[in-house]
Amino acid sequence: MTDSAIEIRGVAKRYAEHVAVHDLSLSVPRGAVYGLLGPNGAGKTTTIRMLLNIIAPDEGSILLFGRPNDEAGVTDRVGYLPEERGLYKRMQVRRVLRFLAELKGVPGHEADRRIVEWTERLGLRTPEKDWGLAKVDELSRGMQQKVQFIGTLLHDPELVILDEPFSGLDPINAQALKDTVVELKRRGRTVIFSTHLMDNAERLCDSVCIIARGEKVLDGSVAGVKAEHGGRNIALALGASRDGAVAAVLGDRTLISRIDDSNRFLELELAPGADPQLLLRRLLESGATIERFELVTPSLHQIFLEKVGATGVEAGVTGHG
Amino acid sequence: MARLWAVITREYMERVRSKWFLVSTILAPLLFGVMLILPMWMARTMQPSADIGHIVILDATGSRLGTRIAGELNGGVTGDSSLTQVIEVASAALGRAESTSTQQVIAKRAKGYLVVDSATFSSLRARYSGTNATSEVDMRRLERILHDQVTAIRLERAGLDAVQVRALTSSAVTLQTDQLSERGRGGSGKVSMIFAFGVAFLLYIAIFLYGQNVLRGVIEEKQTRVAETVVSSISPTTLLAGKVLGVGAVGITQLTLSIAGSVLLVRLREPIMHRLGMPMVPMSLPHISPAVALLLLLYFLLGYVFYAALFAAVGALISTEQEAQQVQLPVAMLLVITALFIQPVMMAPEAPLARRLSWLPFSSPIIMPLRLSLGAISALDIALSLVSLVIGCAAVVWIAARIYRTGLLMYGKRATLGEIMRWVRVTR
Repeated sequence: MTDSAIEIRGVAKRYAEHVAVHDLSLSVPRGAVYGLLGPNGAGKTTTIRMLLNIIAPDEGSILLFGRPNDEAGVTDRVGYLPEERGLYKRMQVRRVLRFLAELKGVPGHEADRRIVEWTERLGLRTPEKDWGLAKVDELSRGMQQKVQFIGTLLHDPELVILDEPFSGLDPINAQALKDTVVELKRRGRTVIFSTHLMDNAERLCDSVCIIARGEKVLDGSVAGVKAEHGGRNIALALGASRDGAVAAVLGDRTLISRIDDSNRFLELELAPGADPQLLLRRLLESGATIERFELVTPSLHQIFLEKVGATGVEAGVTGHG
Repeated sequence: MARLWAVITREYMERVRSKWFLVSTILAPLLFGVMLILPMWMARTMQPSADIGHIVILDATGSRLGTRIAGELNGGVTGDSSLTQVIEVASAALGRAESTSTQQVIAKRAKGYLVVDSATFSSLRARYSGTNATSEVDMRRLERILHDQVTAIRLERAGLDAVQVRALTSSAVTLQTDQLSERGRGGSGKVSMIFAFGVAFLLYIAIFLYGQNVLRGVIEEKQTRVAETVVSSISPTTLLAGKVLGVGAVGITQLTLSIAGSVLLVRLREPIMHRLGMPMVPMSLPHISPAVALLLLLYFLLGYVFYAALFAAVGALISTEQEAQQVQLPVAMLLVITALFIQPVMMAPEAPLARRLSWLPFSSPIIMPLRLSLGAISALDIALSLVSLVIGCAAVVWIAARIYRTGLLMYGKRATLGEIMRWVRVTR
């Protein structure tokens, strides 16, 4: 038994007009929560569809649990929540769920039992009302999302793939989703999700892979990635007296390569080779009142911006991401 | 296999449970019933006018011909001939009598007037003027009575007695038509024509209806985006196969129910017609051998698969139902063109045109059942058409599956013909 849930080796996918994924390799350990990060059009959805054998790569190989993903029965162990969600509108909720479970090889009676369990758990079945008996289009959007989510997990998959799971979720469902991801991890399941929301990724993921324009930019454990890019950032909070001298220090490109003032404090990225002590001295010399000066590890958001840059976002082809 | 079964079951059950299924299953035999009864009702309106006897007969023959005609017009010896006014006039007074009668007709006191005179016997001529002179059925009835009575009088003059003449002249011959085939008598010719047309038309409607149903199913899965969830578990080919088979099973169910309902209706036709006060026209259902029945079913199934696969491919090419009308046109045209040939093939089921259409996979599912219902066809023709249809089906399903597989997850811009060709060529 291999300890990788997913093993992608040298995978490429080309469409007529563009290259969606180019020579991508990555490995997801079992039991990990893994984030596939990238701007829109980076190739996340294409990668996920190849993982699920919905589309075939032009080059390379994909192993799930150490077996080729086009081998019979392998994708039965995977639960998938697509980015574009939808269900049969005129079908009874319970029947839709049963159908989705049967497609994964769960026998009907077993599916029925689990449906009751899940609908109760997510509040779709209460003593007053059983939404399982309603038709899908009678449900609110939020409830439909829950149903779709149940459909993803009904066959108790070992690997759960969520494509942009937070898009379109209200805060309550988003929290329920996060709780479930934590719960899945606790039970030893592997979760991989794509997102362009770095905050969620940072909070939930053990490991991440950032891709842009179909290519891997970096990957590794969140701690590792941060350590590798850490120590070069400084959180700086200044008192009221900010004059020209201070601005001159902050504008010195030999000291600071970038300033992010989107927070309550300034987040500075030191220029290559610059010494933080020198910066502190220069600031004091310029007469600045320093309230906070702290070497910090950068957020994933910063690393993402640094690595992908505005160009990566701009160049992203919209559509099949 | 269990997955395929799950898809088939879903496609089947969701449709059978719908109101659409209930309504159309009940409506079909009802429509058939109306089609059966309507011709009878129309035939009744083709009867001569009930008041055809409400005329004036100007008799200048001096042979009581007018009285005899009046009797026949009003239902023979038992009828009431008081409706008909017989005026015996001399040849010389005929002109004046005619103008009086004309006034009568204009004043609507009579439907018309009939003039019989010496010319009626010598040169077999009579004249009728009236408001119903253009009514084909009325005039034919009048003509017939005239002919019978003139013949009767001539026979009496030749020495036969009146009773004998009546017995000899009242001989109406009805022509019964029988269709002969290698299998022997196959019911009346007219019935088998109607039946064959019915079979062809039913197949046309059924293939169209269920093909469209597959198309709508594909569009629904694309539009709701459920397709992606489904194909993450099973291959698009399995989904396509399950859909086509599931809808096909709905078709078989519905056709079986409709045919059973229609047969029941034919059985009950006599009491129904009696209730409606319509004359009963004897009608026997044509005899269909089990082999022919099996062939009809086979053609329906193959024809349905052929067109359903094409419609599914069309569905995969588009994103909304609005686009469907336009894009499905080429497929629909194949069916419509075939339907246009039903009439010519019925007229000449053994002609080269009919035979050629039987060999083409897009037309044979309708043309062959039509020919089979009309009479015997050579085994060679059947074999040729089945082989070409099976090959055609396999090719169409293969191509459609490839278009479907790629098109299912494509949204937005519609694919060009070149792109579609590439989808078909690419393995995956």
